[in-house]
Amino acid sequence: MIGKNRFGISAKIITGYAVIIVCLVISIFVVNNQLSTMQKERNFIIHHDLQVHSLTNEIEKKLLEMENGQRGYVLTGSERFLKSYNAAENSWRDDFNQLYSLLADNPSQQNNLINIKKAMMSWVNETGEPIIALKKNNKNAAAVKGLQQENSIQNVENIRSQFEQFRSTEISLTEKRAAHLDSRNKNLTYGLISLLVVVIALSIGLALFISRSIVNTVKEVIASIKAMTSNGGDVSKRIFVKTKDEIRELAHATNDLLDSVEKRDWLQKSTNGIVGQYQGKATMNELGTTFISGVARSTDASYGAIYVRESMDSKKFIKKGQFAGTAADVGRDVFTIGEGLVGQCAIEKSPLLIENVPNDYILVSSALGEAQAKNVIIVPVLFEGDTIAVLELATLQTFTEEHKALIENVTKTFGLTVDSISGRMEIVRLLKESQALTEELQAQSEELQTQSEELQMQSEELRMINEQLEQRSLEAEGKSRELLQAKNELEEQAQELSLSSKYKSEFLANMSHELRTPLNSILILSEMLAENAASHQLAEDEEFARVIHSSGQDLLHLINDILDLSKVEAGKLEMLFNEVNMSELPQQLERNFAHVAQQKGLDFRVAMENDVPPLIYTDETRVQQILKNLLSNAIKFTERGTVAVHISSQAPKEKRVEANHWLCFAVSDTGIGIPKEKHDHIFEAFQQGDGATARKFGGTGLGLSISLEFIKLLGGTLELESEEGKGSTFYMYLPSLPEGVTTLASVEEETVLQEVAATVEVEEKLPPNEQGALGFFSGKTVLITDDDQRNIFALKTALQNEGMQVITAANGHECLTLLEETENLDLILMDIMMPVMDGYETIQAIRAQEAYQDIPIIALTAKAMKNDREKCLEVGASDYVSKPLKIEQLFSVMRVWISNQ
Amino acid sequence: MNDQGLSQEDYLTPMEEMEIDLFLEAVYRLSGFDFRKYMRSSIVRRLQNRMRMERATTISSMQEKLFHESGFVEKILNDFSINVTEMFRDPDFFKVFRHTVVPELKKLASIRIWHAGCATGEEVYSMAILLKEEGLMEKTTIYATDMNEEVLEKAKKGMFSLQKMQTYTKNYLQAGGSEAFSEYYTADNHFAYFEPSLLKNIIFAQHNLVTDSSFNEFHVIICRNVLIYFTSELQNEVQSLFYESLCTDGFLGLGNKESLRFSQCATGYEEFSTLQKIYRKKH
Repeated sequence: MIGKNRFGISAKIITGYAVIIVCLVISIFVVNNQLSTMQKERNFIIHHDLQVHSLTNEIEKKLLEMENGQRGYVLTGSERFLKSYNAAENSWRDDFNQLYSLLADNPSQQNNLINIKKAMMSWVNETGEPIIALKKNNKNAAAVKGLQQENSIQNVENIRSQFEQFRSTEISLTEKRAAHLDSRNKNLTYGLISLLVVVIALSIGLALFISRSIVNTVKEVIASIKAMTSNGGDVSKRIFVKTKDEIRELAHATNDLLDSVEKRDWLQKSTNGIVGQYQGKATMNELGTTFISGVARSTDASYGAIYVRESMDSKKFIKKGQFAGTAADVGRDVFTIGEGLVGQCAIEKSPLLIENVPNDYILVSSALGEAQAKNVIIVPVLFEGDTIAVLELATLQTFTEEHKALIENVTKTFGLTVDSISGRMEIVRLLKESQALTEELQAQSEELQTQSEELQMQSEELRMINEQLEQRSLEAEGKSRELLQAKNELEEQAQELSLSSKYKSEFLANMSHELRTPLNSILILSEMLAENAASHQLAEDEEFARVIHSSGQDLLHLINDILDLSKVEAGKLEMLFNEVNMSELPQQLERNFAHVAQQKGLDFRVAMENDVPPLIYTDETRVQQILKNLLSNAIKFTERGTVAVHISSQAPKEKRVEANHWLCFAVSDTGIGIPKEKHDHIFEAFQQGDGATARKFGGTGLGLSISLEFIKLLGGTLELESEEGKGSTFYMYLPSLPEGVTTLASVEEETVLQEVAATVEVEEKLPPNEQGALGFFSGKTVLITDDDQRNIFALKTALQNEGMQVITAANGHECLTLLEETENLDLILMDIMMPVMDGYETIQAIRAQEAYQDIPIIALTAKAMKNDREKCLEVGASDYVSKPLKIEQLFSVMRVWISNQ
Repeated sequence: MNDQGLSQEDYLTPMEEMEIDLFLEAVYRLSGFDFRKYMRSSIVRRLQNRMRMERATTISSMQEKLFHESGFVEKILNDFSINVTEMFRDPDFFKVFRHTVVPELKKLASIRIWHAGCATGEEVYSMAILLKEEGLMEKTTIYATDMNEEVLEKAKKGMFSLQKMQTYTKNYLQAGGSEAFSEYYTADNHFAYFEPSLLKNIIFAQHNLVTDSSFNEFHVIICRNVLIYFTSELQNEVQSLFYESLCTDGFLGLGNKESLRFSQCATGYEEFSTLQKIYRKKH
């Protein structure tokens, strides 16, 4: 980290100290040097000057000794004095030379010395030696006279003064040198002091410099750290140090610490941010979406999806949130444990990082294009050791360690949150459920309460009433007794009444039968009387007999009609289907009616088309009866003109039954005709065009209604075309039915047909799945019982459209069989008019079963038939709907009856 | 049933009687609704209910709430007015009405019917359906009144819960309905909505039997299972109100547990259907 040319604090300090030490050493050296020089000089002064002085003194002394010796010798003549003279005279030159050499550095003194030497030499040569030599020669007096010569004394005195001068010069030289030494010494002291000052200054300067350089960086670091702390722990800043020392290292280390703190801080913040974002989310989807977008944003992922386990028992993971997903198709919506990498990750419970993402793995797309994901990471979210959710992220870059750490961090807490949210959702759901239940309970209890209150109230009132009643008990008892009596009487009467009405039809049938027997006798007898009487009776009698016969005949017709009608009404009349030979019919008709027509002067024609099959299956008797009725009517109401029968092979527009062959009998007349408004009227029993008609033409008006009933029983229809004053044509359409009529033919059949058409029409108009009612009916099972396949088809389609299960039965038996096989049936739609076993019977049979006491049964009835509906309810239908069915109404009814189950 | 505060109704202490008197007086003064002449037992039971719910121990503490707690008066009023009703309730009544009263009404040029205490309107709708089936709808005006405006609002909606519709259907059929009941409503998943055309000649209005007076003359007055909550004194007053409001030969229909027998007005009526409590005003 630190550069090569680092200059550390220790180096600084050491350098400082080193500098000071070097300075000290130098100064000591210098001082020492000076001192030794001074020592030398001093020594020089001491030795040299001392020697010079001593030598000078020695030489002077020797001079004196020579003078003394000479004197002594001269005076005494003692050899001893001569000896000392000689010794001095022999040695002074050595001393002189020594001194001379010592004064080599001082030529002036050498000169002085040479002068001295010369003077001495001259003394020795002029004074000393000659005198000595005189003595020796015993010339004492000359010697002593020599001694007394002023000259010689003066010479010695001169030499001594020369010596004195020399010595004073030397002393002055010595003093000079001492003074020089003194000044040198003073200089040295000054130098020492200045050196000390310099060293101190240098040391202080260095110390300051080094300490400042250290302290400054430390201060810088402190300032940076303070700035960070004062900035609320903003760790984004870094410490910058210019120096290259340990502080820099410290700063680097601190920066590293800050880096790691910042990372941790980022991690913490991001984690907190994500966790904070998804706090308080109420639903799993919200949670998932917030979480995944938070994580993806924090990790710079371009794509992410979170899958949450359906429940802890489930193996399914459902996508609850996605990030940067291109609308709907990001990732799969569901996966199961072990399915693919995600599933594997869920099993292994450890994160999975895919760095080499296969080329076709996922394309991260934006508005401008798409790119290959580089890294994909799949992380399981664990809760209590189980994988509760799986997170998948894809990025265009790579996931850094921090990203991974973040993902790890957030997934750690996420498991708990997912669990708590799912727990909360469950709790909310349960709470709602329980609230709903509570509300319901409360409502029920309130209802019950109010009802019970009401009951209490009523019972209270009853109690009061009873009390008051007790006070009037006598009167009340009396009245009640009377009432009871009256009631009994009434009951008796009612019983009698019902009994009598029950006997009515029987009575009528019996009566007609009983009437016919005597009537037959009357007829036969009167006929016989009329035929036979001509021979022996009066013409008048004969006429009477004929009147009796014809009246009887009329009466018989009437009785027969009444009988038929009551039978039809009592449902006792059965048609007998058989082969009928059509080829004979025209002749038959002609035979029977031609003469009646002729009697009235009418033209009677019977025509039959060639394509009429020779054999048809129907009830011949009834057909003839109908034709007779129609023709009788035609003849009766026609004054002049024609009555014609035209038989053709033609089917009616509205068929009530399916048949291979249809015949059309058209009975036309040119009679009085029937006004339009009476067309419906005339088929009712005992009705004719109007009262006047009846008076004019007679008859009971039963014929047409009986004919109509018969035609219905035969499976045919009757149509009327008529105009008042111009005549009428009755078209009777009859089917050929080898098997007979399977459905009990009655008025409603026609309507049923219309209804089917209507229902189909409604069905077509019905928009699919209207107004979201799907939920209500979906999953409900309905059983439709209807013999008409078209009806079933229409209903089935409509109900299936609502999401219902539809089971169909063609008749009552099938319905009962299906009931045994089917479970969880919600509703039964029951057609009433069915072959084999009709709706009433079926409903009764269903209600007879314990399990189906309460199942809603909705009967489908014909509109006109009020009695039918009463019967429906009697046998146990829950409700009825009139045909033709209106689908919206049917749905409403079904909602009502399905609602409470 | 009653373990706190109020003693059993039969054994009300004189003090409690007084408290109730004062409470009802307060309700009357505060709201104008007079329950002082309602059957005391019924009032006591309802007060007990409310006290249980409010965790009140004395009636006087309830009275304090009455004065100082907003919305409490309304609560009490709702408690006191009973709104139990169903369509074609007591089907036989409607059957008899259809077979005996309707033929009489057919003779009239126009018909005014008053449903007093109509609550949430079930019987009003029943009557409307009956009249429609009998072809009298066009010339009839039904005045439906109740003292509780809240229930009137409900009534105007003609919206009944699906669960009840099964009972209503059964009642309708037993009452001799001539069509399929489903002709008159459409249902969604929760409610059955009655055909708005039924409402055409119905006027809903707030009217208090205890305090308000007659407002028209009617051919038929239906007031079923309302008077049972009134004291006989109040019943008498209301009966006179009805008597005044009925035109001659007009019909009065009461609940099958109610009776005119002990009313002062009894003499003014003849029993038209004893069993179904239909009375006709005499000349």
